[in-house]
Amino acid sequence: MIELISKLEKLSLELVQKQDYLYKVEVKKEQLESLLLSFLNEFGYITLDSINCRDDLEEGNFVITYCLLTPKRDHVVMVQTSIERENASLPSIHTFWPQAEIMEREMHEMFGVDFPGHPTLIDFALEYWDNIPPLRRDFDTLQYVNDMNPFRGQRDDALDAKVEMKKKREAKKAAKLKAEQEAAAKAELETQNNPSQEVQNEE
Amino acid sequence: MMESGFHGCDLDDSLKCKLEESGTQNTHSVMEKAAAWFRSRSIFVVAYGTGCGAIEMPPTFTSRYDAERMGVVGVATPRQADLIILSGYLAYKTLRRVIRTYEQMQKPKYIITLGSCPINGGMYWDSYNTIKKLDDYLPVDVSVVGCMPRPEAVIDGFSLLQKRIKNGEKAGWEKYDENLDFYKKNQKRVLGNHVDPSYETDWYNLENGSEV
Ligand code: SF4
Repeated sequence: MIELISKLEKLSLELVQKQDYLYKVEVKKEQLESLLLSFLNEFGYITLDSINCRDDLEEGNFVITYCLLTPKRDHVVMVQTSIERENASLPSIHTFWPQAEIMEREMHEMFGVDFPGHPTLIDFALEYWDNIPPLRRDFDTLQYVNDMNPFRGQRDDALDAKVEMKKKREAKKAAKLKAEQEAAAKAELETQNNPSQEVQNEE
Repeated sequence: MMESGFHGCDLDDSLKCKLEESGTQNTHSVMEKAAAWFRSRSIFVVAYGTGCGAIEMPPTFTSRYDAERMGVVGVATPRQADLIILSGYLAYKTLRRVIRTYEQMQKPKYIITLGSCPINGGMYWDSYNTIKKLDDYLPVDVSVVGCMPRPEAVIDGFSLLQKRIKNGEKAGWEKYDENLDFYKKNQKRVLGNHVDPSYETDWYNLENGSEV
């Protein structure tokens, strides 16, 4: 770990501890590939856990995070970089970690990030998608869903839930009131029938 | 089909009468009724696990609930099957495969869906990649509700289907044949022209029933 920190310092990068097992280093896009390679070869981060993408629509950025692990599995290093949203492209790292191939393919599909040199940048979970990539924040999911898949209409004998609930609540209230009144009347009746008792009590 | 060879057989008139009374719409001859009865007792199922509901299929078909005692048996391929079970939500990608599978099946064929997702989208109602109303795209015979339905409910769905087959009620595949325009139009709306095998000469090149 000390070795790693000193190496990063030489590159004027900082390793920030986020949680007790979680470290983060932010890096420019140009340095990314060489840094990831040295993580793999020099420091033994042989596992690429995931590649995540966050859409910062307001800043016009994608923030990409690579999560790396050593065989000890005792901590995670996140290598983070941010790229322009317009014509987003990143170097492909499938030659370093083979599993990156499918992660990049998914990111290409969901965010429209391009990976020059990637061998299989084709459809992944979707097919023939010709809209804005669905996980970009400027893609209006609800609008799209309502256009493509309208809801099923109600049955002819369907009742309005709001009205029915209101009726139900009112009926409940009335029943409660009635019960209270009955109880009060009963109590009154009892006191009328046994006035002697009360008198005795008072004495 | 079968009726032609058996018209000559002399059944007891009263029995014939009884059989005719019990049947409804479109089983006409006695033999058709008999065939329908037999058919209802041997439903071969291809279980297409499209969603979470697939997990209810193993208990339904194995010794715990044993659907085989009702004549419901699993088979390997759609070409051998009478019934396809679609057990859950369908993504567009799945729908493509399901349509192809369904069209490969031999008639008569039936569809049972499990869960609320094929009925109205269920909890995937706002997904960019799943359909809401399966019966717009394929003719569903029985929808078993629940999220997900227990094997008892699935078996209830089977027995409802069996009753319908026995009564000779109009099945989904007949509706599919009659309203092919409607179904193909809806399929085209969500899937575009990308349905395998590529339909070059028929419905896929038609826009609202007229050629483009
Ligand atoms: S109805 Fe429920 S169990 Fe069935 S596919 Fe939908 S979410 Fe899954």
